[in-house]
Amino acid sequence: MSTAAFPAAVTARRAPAIALDRVAKSYPGGVRALDDVSLTVEHGTFLAVMGPSGSGKSTLMHCAAGLDSPTAGSVRIDGHEISGLNETRRTELRRERVGFVFQAYNLIPSLSVEDNITLPLRLAGRRPDRDWLRTLTERVGLADRLAHRPAELSGGQQQRAAVVRALAAKPAVVFADEPTGALDLRSAHQVLDLLRALVDDLGQTVVMVTHDPAAAARAHRVLVMADGRVVEALERPSAPQLADRLVTLGER
Amino acid sequence: MLHLALRMAAHRITALIAVACAVLGGAALITTTGVLAESGLRSQLPPGRLGGADVVVAADQEFRPSGDLPLALPERATVPARLVDRLAALPGVTAAVGDIGFPAALADARGGITPVAEDPRTAGHGWSSTVLLADPRVEGRAPSGAHEVAVDAGTGLAVGQRVEVVANGRAPAAYRVSALVHAPGAGVYFADGTAAGLAARDAGSGGPRAGTVDLIGVRADGGAGQRVAAAVRDAVAGTGLEVSTGADRGAAVSPGVGSARSLLILLAGSLGGIVLLITGFVVAGALGVTIAGQRRDLALMRAVGATPKQIRRLAAAQSTVVAALALVPGIAAGYLLAGSFRELLTDRDVLPSELPLTVSPLPALATLLLMVAAVRLSARCAAWRTSRMPATEAVAESRSEPRTPSRGRTLAGLLLIVGAGALSVVPLLSRTVLGASVTSMAGILAAIGLALAGPALVRSAGEAAVRRLRPGVAAPTWLALSNVRAYALRLSGVVSPLAMGIVFVLTYTLTQTTVLAATSDDTRTGTLAQYELTAPALGGLPDGTLAAVRDVPGVRAAAPAGTTTVVWEYDELGEPTAESAPAMILAPDARGVVDLGVTDGGLDRLTGATVAVSGEAARTRDAGLGKRVRLVLGDGARVEARVVAVYDRGLGFGPVVLSRDLAAGHTTTGLDQRVLVRTDGTQEAGRELTALAAGRPGLALASTAPDTTGADTPPEVWINLALVVVLLGYLLLSIANKLVAATAQRRTEIAALRLVGTTPRQIRAMMRREAAVVAAAALACGLLLSAVPLALLGQGFLGHPWPAGPAWLLPAVAATVVLTSYLTTELPTRHALRTPPAEGLRTG
Repeated sequence: MSTAAFPAAVTARRAPAIALDRVAKSYPGGVRALDDVSLTVEHGTFLAVMGPSGSGKSTLMHCAAGLDSPTAGSVRIDGHEISGLNETRRTELRRERVGFVFQAYNLIPSLSVEDNITLPLRLAGRRPDRDWLRTLTERVGLADRLAHRPAELSGGQQQRAAVVRALAAKPAVVFADEPTGALDLRSAHQVLDLLRALVDDLGQTVVMVTHDPAAAARAHRVLVMADGRVVEALERPSAPQLADRLVTLGER
Repeated sequence: MLHLALRMAAHRITALIAVACAVLGGAALITTTGVLAESGLRSQLPPGRLGGADVVVAADQEFRPSGDLPLALPERATVPARLVDRLAALPGVTAAVGDIGFPAALADARGGITPVAEDPRTAGHGWSSTVLLADPRVEGRAPSGAHEVAVDAGTGLAVGQRVEVVANGRAPAAYRVSALVHAPGAGVYFADGTAAGLAARDAGSGGPRAGTVDLIGVRADGGAGQRVAAAVRDAVAGTGLEVSTGADRGAAVSPGVGSARSLLILLAGSLGGIVLLITGFVVAGALGVTIAGQRRDLALMRAVGATPKQIRRLAAAQSTVVAALALVPGIAAGYLLAGSFRELLTDRDVLPSELPLTVSPLPALATLLLMVAAVRLSARCAAWRTSRMPATEAVAESRSEPRTPSRGRTLAGLLLIVGAGALSVVPLLSRTVLGASVTSMAGILAAIGLALAGPALVRSAGEAAVRRLRPGVAAPTWLALSNVRAYALRLSGVVSPLAMGIVFVLTYTLTQTTVLAATSDDTRTGTLAQYELTAPALGGLPDGTLAAVRDVPGVRAAAPAGTTTVVWEYDELGEPTAESAPAMILAPDARGVVDLGVTDGGLDRLTGATVAVSGEAARTRDAGLGKRVRLVLGDGARVEARVVAVYDRGLGFGPVVLSRDLAAGHTTTGLDQRVLVRTDGTQEAGRELTALAAGRPGLALASTAPDTTGADTPPEVWINLALVVVLLGYLLLSIANKLVAATAQRRTEIAALRLVGTTPRQIRAMMRREAAVVAAAALACGLLLSAVPLALLGQGFLGHPWPAGPAWLLPAVAATVVLTSYLTTELPTRHALRTPPAEGLRTG
């Protein structure tokens, strides 16, 4: 899919990486997972979304990333409206502009690390930028692991491979869903360092969903969610500050 | 996409073996069917006796109904003898020979018969026919006068010796051997005038075939073959005669081959439907299991940006690669299988042993296209649901099953089962072999319906079972039943092919045996004669046999009978239809030896252009008593005959019986094929008859009581049983594969169970209980689905609502099912238990 299909992007100022306007999402049976959420993520920023289980943070991410379509409201990714697109068009937009890092790594076990990394490009029918991939793999320390199968890598290595995969297509924004949830402390640190460095050095945009205050504290901005709404937005909070906030939310 | 497909395929090699086996077996079966069909259409006998003829003119031995395949006419049709001179006069023709064949055999000194040709009914020829031999090496001189013959050198006779010859039903007469002909199986050559006289073919004889020949062979000047063939075509244009050259000449040698070829086409036709159904089912099933095993991978690919279409393309590409690998050996095996099938048919005398198979790349090509299309379609269907899931659910759902079996699928399945039930009523309405064949079709359709509706049924059955469990039940039982409920789709994927196997074996086999039982019951009760006198080595019964039999003390009745082929033209639902069927030839005195169960009219009126018809045919073809029917006799003659009797025992005696007068002159030989004899039942009469047969060379006396050795079993039954065995092997293989793959895919689950403290013993117990549930469910479903059609079949054919068949069949089927289910669960479970649980979780 060429960008020409999305002419809305032609504006003088670059559109925000993500723009949600009054987004709501409800599921059959009346569960309201998102309730009137508006949100803007500028390019080159690191946003963390926190909240207790069931607060709607995963749904927010799914909608913002175009994995799911909202029931109401507008979602723009890099200036492109995605609500109202069908599954195929959304998938195509996603692989052009969005990268994903999941808690469970989600590498395809039957493919080598290199094949996993280039998979989204292959699916999009694009030629991988070899220099870019070499830069990335060297940076995350996987350059000598490319021919291995995911099962032969440690958890931290697998997650770093997943980060490279997310970045391979040079997306407008990378979504990370509990990226450190399955990792030990040291590996978690490495992955968070990597994400932060991507934002600081390469100007990448990252949106991370987490319930770990220490992880969230690495972001520029933290949204706290409860009951499908954004209840608070904090600029550069500290980890203890966030932990306190979560505890009070839990006691409500 | 191909690269990805290959990588993922390589990783899933064990699961894909199931697909490969399904494709391999299917390709073999479809190729076999294709080779049989093509041979039926195009195979030709070697020209044999006519090898030296450049052009052969013979009558058309096929009836061509509009818009349908031609029907073979196996009785020799004639060519006017006066045409011989006209063809001989054409430029470039060196010789034109009117060839005739008539029954002839050599009697040896001890009263035995030496066969001199493949078909004794046409072993006698005129000397001029030797011109048509490809390489006529002759020792001695041409026979002349009424007392000389030339014989095949292979008989061991020498020139100048005397030999007894039985020619066209005459009493054995002494002839002097004037020449030896070096051509195996060429027959006995008489002087031309003598031959025509013996065969009653000379213009003055006044017989029905006077002034005719069987065929005309033409030899041309070297290199003039093409030109002569064209000239001959011009000369016979408009007469309906066939002019053949090259390989086509084989058809003129023996018109009976035409019916053997029709049989091949018929066989391929009936095979084709069932083979395609089962192949499609097995391939789709194997792909379903494989793709279910890759659900997680495919879902992950959705999450990282694969469109639904790409997922389906990937599934299709991967399966196509595997199918392509399996197709090559599969198609090769198909050609070999066709060869063995042909041997089976020639061993049973269904096919002439000289008829070769036509081996061309066409069946391979057809198989390739069919299988690739089937595989791609099945793969796309199997991947449909996974590919359509929203990407978020794809990740979340991949570890378990889709929540509910789709309603459309369940509905389609139930509709199929109901439709199959409706179909199985057919044997009640139509007491014919065709009507009975609907039974197995209905069974298989019902089994496919079960495969579709299965998940919903299994789930509700599992839920009911779990609700009723007592709280104190053993953990493995509780686990097994919970799995049944939770993994309804997986389980029914295993149950339905097993059930299909059961349905297939039961309906297919029992239909055969039931129809056979009903037929032999018809024949047994309908045949009053205890003995049957034939003369196969002579090509027909010698004149005077009937009178001699009637003179034997103790013989109450004796009547001639024969069998020919007729094509019956009638209107079916306003559409003209033509059906070819074997027909008995009976004389008016047949009442003493057969009881056809006449309900209307009487067999004593079978004189002139009359027929008797079965009640079934009378009803469906508007052919009641006194009606006129249009028939095409075995040699292509169109006749109109009056119905003088309607009988009940159509299953045993066929839809139509011809009067002897009607058939006279329209069969290859004019001789009676057999005499049916009813005696007073005393041993004395039997001994007298035996003595009579022994005293006349070539006669054979047999009891009409059905023998138990199975030699009387019609060839279709053997073909069908062979088919059951081959298809069952294929089904079992695919079922085993599927079960193994299904169990192997549960390694993660097994590992997780072990981590929470389930002992290997408990896991094996759980799996065994699941295997028991699978076997029981498959048996219950299979029996239930077969019961209705078989009960209706029994009611229609035997008058009681159960089929006839061997008693061991059911226990054998049950044992096979239990064993398959047990082994295919136990072995992979043991294998899975050998890996440490933590590793099992990681690699699962």
